[in-house]
Amino acid sequence: MRMRLQRSIEIWKMGTVNYLDALKLQERLVSDRKIGKIPDTLLSLQHPPTYTLGKRRTHHNLLVPEADLQTMGAELHYTERGGDITFHGPHQAILYPIISLREIGLGARKYVENLEQTMIELASLYGVQAQAGESGETGVWVRDKKIGAIGVRISSGITSHGLAFNNDPDLNYFRHIVPCGIADKGVTSLRIVTEVELPGDEVIHEQLVGCFARSFGFSTLSWKENVSILLTQNKRCE
Amino acid sequence: MASRLWASRAASFLKISTFHRRFSSVLKDLKYADTHEWVKADGTSATVGITDHAQDHLGDVVYVELPDVGASVTQGSSFGAVESVKATSDINSPISGKVIEVNEELSSSPGLVNARPYDSGWIIKVEMSNSGEVSSLMDSEQYSKFCEEEDAKH
Repeated sequence: MRMRLQRSIEIWKMGTVNYLDALKLQERLVSDRKIGKIPDTLLSLQHPPTYTLGKRRTHHNLLVPEADLQTMGAELHYTERGGDITFHGPHQAILYPIISLREIGLGARKYVENLEQTMIELASLYGVQAQAGESGETGVWVRDKKIGAIGVRISSGITSHGLAFNNDPDLNYFRHIVPCGIADKGVTSLRIVTEVELPGDEVIHEQLVGCFARSFGFSTLSWKENVSILLTQNKRCE
Repeated sequence: MASRLWASRAASFLKISTFHRRFSSVLKDLKYADTHEWVKADGTSATVGITDHAQDHLGDVVYVELPDVGASVTQGSSFGAVESVKATSDINSPISGKVIEVNEELSSSPGLVNARPYDSGWIIKVEMSNSGEVSSLMDSEQYSKFCEEEDAKH
């Protein structure tokens, strides 16, 4: 009889984190995870208004000059993740799993499907029926509007970047891009599509983490708070 | 293919687990890395690509990042990447050497990696610096077994 191993993950509750800080932290964590210095780790956070491009640098999907973004109080960053241009901002729940796909025998496709499932389950907690995109349209949709986005990097079998779920971000920011490169579909948020009154972001984040743990079969979660202190250490080491 | 997709959608709606057992193809005369790349050695030069198992687990490839001709590659290190399902995944070289040719066709037809992983979906050609490295790789039987063990993990 095959025994199911107890899989555990460390959750870092980070509050609002600047995009570049989070990126540098992830790079460090990926190296650490690769050599087995840390266990599977999940960052739970939000970003200040930030636009990001993926590896393919699909600039043409940014509809305003870069200089205008600064005026709006938003940053623009280039990344090595998959996926197209997207927006991150307050009241959007972000999860960055730093996990070893090799250890659990998952490929990119199955990993992304599980991330979609995570957000679909969260939406269902609020009575919202969401679904994964049609083939070629990775992400989570409510009818024809996108509520959750995915953009991932897998390096030596270790994941970084992850998912972004729209609790209640300011959707006006999405007007300045062709979100995820898909021109004829809009974006939405949980606030808009649910009839239930939303609790605070922190509750939604915790629920999202719970859905993630269930989708990936993590049975033991250890929570780490006050993680900003670790970010400071991150800076001091450079 | 379409009916299998329907069946697995229906199954997930009904919360039944489907027995999605697909046998990936493995070619006898190639050698394999545990990161799912294959190499075909021909004297001191070698052709490298990713396996059928790899392309199946990646999903539809929409972009391939190729190295420059002349770049060096090291056994076990990344030389490029593929993008599928909004995920970029590193490709690692099974052997060390210098890139002498890259498959330019992949820029316009990245799907070749999925459709023909062992022939027209090849990725780079390398002048090997140490052809002895090939013997440290898995043969087709060992690789098949390795894939079975990996797939059994979840």
